[in-house]
Amino acid sequence: MNNSKHSLSAKDKWFSIFTELHHIIRNEFKTIFKDRGVVIVFIVASLVYPMLYCGLYKNETLVDVPIAVVNASKSEKARAYVRQIDASPDVKVAAKYFNMREAKTAFEAKEVHGIVYIPEDFDKRLNFNEQANLSIYCDMSSFLYYRALMQAANYTALHVGKEVQLERLADKGITGESAEIAAEPISFQNNILFNGGMGFASFLMPVILMLIIHQTLFFGIGMLAGTAREENRFSNLISNSIHRGGALRVVLGKSICYFSMYIVFSFYILYVVPRVFNLPHIGQWMDIATMMLPFLLATIFFSMTVSVFLPNRETGMIIFLFFSLILLFLSGVSWPQSNINGFWKTLSWIFPAVHGIQAYIKINSMGADIQHINYEYINLWILTAVYFLTTIASYKWQINKSELVNS
Amino acid sequence: MINGIFKTLHATTMRELKRMVSRPIYFIALVLVMAFCYVFFLTFFDNGQPDKMPIGVVDLDNSSLSRQFVHNVSATQLSKITMRLGSHKEAREEMQRGNIYAFVEIERDFQKKTIANKRPVIGIYTNDAYLVAGSLLSKDLMYMSALSSGAVQRQILRAKGIEESRIMGIIQPIVINTHLIGNPMANYGVYLLNVLLPGVLQLMVLMMTIFSVGVEFKERTSLLWLEQADNSIQLAIIGKLAPYTLVFSLVGMIGNILLYGYMHYPLNAAIGWMFLNTIMLVTASQSVGLLLIGITPVLRDGVTLAAFYGLLGFTFAGFTFPIEQMPPSTRIFSYLFPIRHYFNIYVDQALNGLHIAKSAYSFLALGCFNLLPIIVLSRLKNAALTKVFPIK
Repeated sequence: MNNSKHSLSAKDKWFSIFTELHHIIRNEFKTIFKDRGVVIVFIVASLVYPMLYCGLYKNETLVDVPIAVVNASKSEKARAYVRQIDASPDVKVAAKYFNMREAKTAFEAKEVHGIVYIPEDFDKRLNFNEQANLSIYCDMSSFLYYRALMQAANYTALHVGKEVQLERLADKGITGESAEIAAEPISFQNNILFNGGMGFASFLMPVILMLIIHQTLFFGIGMLAGTAREENRFSNLISNSIHRGGALRVVLGKSICYFSMYIVFSFYILYVVPRVFNLPHIGQWMDIATMMLPFLLATIFFSMTVSVFLPNRETGMIIFLFFSLILLFLSGVSWPQSNINGFWKTLSWIFPAVHGIQAYIKINSMGADIQHINYEYINLWILTAVYFLTTIASYKWQINKSELVNS
Repeated sequence: MINGIFKTLHATTMRELKRMVSRPIYFIALVLVMAFCYVFFLTFFDNGQPDKMPIGVVDLDNSSLSRQFVHNVSATQLSKITMRLGSHKEAREEMQRGNIYAFVEIERDFQKKTIANKRPVIGIYTNDAYLVAGSLLSKDLMYMSALSSGAVQRQILRAKGIEESRIMGIIQPIVINTHLIGNPMANYGVYLLNVLLPGVLQLMVLMMTIFSVGVEFKERTSLLWLEQADNSIQLAIIGKLAPYTLVFSLVGMIGNILLYGYMHYPLNAAIGWMFLNTIMLVTASQSVGLLLIGITPVLRDGVTLAAFYGLLGFTFAGFTFPIEQMPPSTRIFSYLFPIRHYFNIYVDQALNGLHIAKSAYSFLALGCFNLLPIIVLSRLKNAALTKVFPIK
């Protein structure tokens, strides 16, 4: 008798927790969809930003960067060099000038982004078996210009140089295979294992995609918290109607709401977008899903913790938008992680974005599996636990504050 | 008349100054954010180029010749051998873990094949998923390899009885002298920070212009604001924004001084032109901010628009991926961002040291942004008077 009564009340309790949770989740969804600003941040930004940036960075590498040639030599070898560099995919010879002054004018007018200068003695030096020099001048306004011209110039020099080498060896009576060996006794092969096309979008877009998830969650949650504060009478973060369930239930309810939405967005951003826009996607999608679980949770709890301190709905975006850039660099994909100085590296540890981006790049772009990203994976779970506790603590604090005001 | 205008402006500005000290957001957004960025980026890129990046070695030969080669690799500036690995598979996995950015693999019988003139293979594996590390290392390691190979070549050619004076002409018949205009050390800080920092400035100016005007609508104080300015929307705006123009310009110029003075980044023009560039970037961004808050006099929408526009500015400045290489239909949008014109002036003046006349159009373009608010003046006034917009 006693026993059955006990189990009934436990059942009741579970039922009440469940309805309470259900109420909080429904409430949060309603709040989100009623708020145009939040809908824009969560949904429109998540949908549009990936497509927009993929569109802008569609061209992976620079093609046919216009350069000028000043050929003072006019020899057959020099002409061969100009012909071959023009044929390279990186650059095209947009103009030929007789002197450097004219080329400089074209450079200053931004008609060309580099100059190749072949001096008068080019042919003479080649004929006398000496080293022939040529000069390139690179536009440093973008490093991609500089890379394009360097690549094309060096590759062409090797190619034309090889012919010269073989001719010279032939002069010395060395021909055939033995000449080939003398020209290149050791063969060096540069293999690019990942992102073999050296694509700019393939390198940057995966970072941007993860940042979009992190930042839209952060700003959306911040906006919701700021609005709640503005609308409640005593600037409370949590309205009376829902806080009866206690901090744990409020935090669970809200995070379940955000999490379920972002499962869908993450599928779109990390699965659909890379396939539609031809970005790298050599990882196992199960590994990405496994990694995304703690990443989304850590990001949600991180955002909820910070959001407690945002007094107004705009505050978060005004003050923290610039931080998207800081996170981009802290993630250590463009500037290598090994070269980030100790202080910033330590600081970077507290941001879920940093571990999430590294983990995603390694799985998605480098085909790593979940064991390879152990470090990031464990850190993400630690951050999830820490930020979960800080969220509960700060929500408890807010609820106590509002109860104090109410009584 | 003039006196009256001055008095009105003074009163409007004083009113704004009172607002500015009432909440911490003003100080944070006006000063702290840029101060943080200066400290962050200048310490982040203080090295200019990443050096001593971790790489691995797979020496399957382990002969005196292969060890000599590994020794040469360890002497390069950009890389540092942190791992010696037993197999290709192991090395590849370390790369996937992100522990090394590249590895060098020397095949078994490397020495034997070299001596027997059988052209052994050395593999250099790089990872361009980390594009900067990957391409720098591949350049560095290939250069080093060419040098090592040259040493072997020299021995072979000597053995074949070729005169010493002719050997270099055979090893490397064509030598390229590379001149990097304006940034001879290929310093990443120079390349990035000259645009990133003004980009953040543009973003903060936009945000604060929209906030300072939008908050009047949101808190329904716009009528008081307008009354203070004798019902002149022009005076109301000028009086309100003047302190922001001043503070942001100062903060921006401190940035110029930090880059060109403290960091000694290349400056091939008078610093005054870069100051002017910065001030005009601030006012142009303020004008864009006014346009945005005029289009939608709702603070939250204004901030969202500014966020969207401000972040796109970094792409459309065209310093990472050049504008000319973007899809043609998108190129034209770059003109709509003050930071694009700032970038052009920076390239022509500070980087390349051209005559100032070459930048006339860019300065003119920056100036033209200041005409934008005219479009929305009456709309702003209307919004201030009627207060019919939702506040949420």
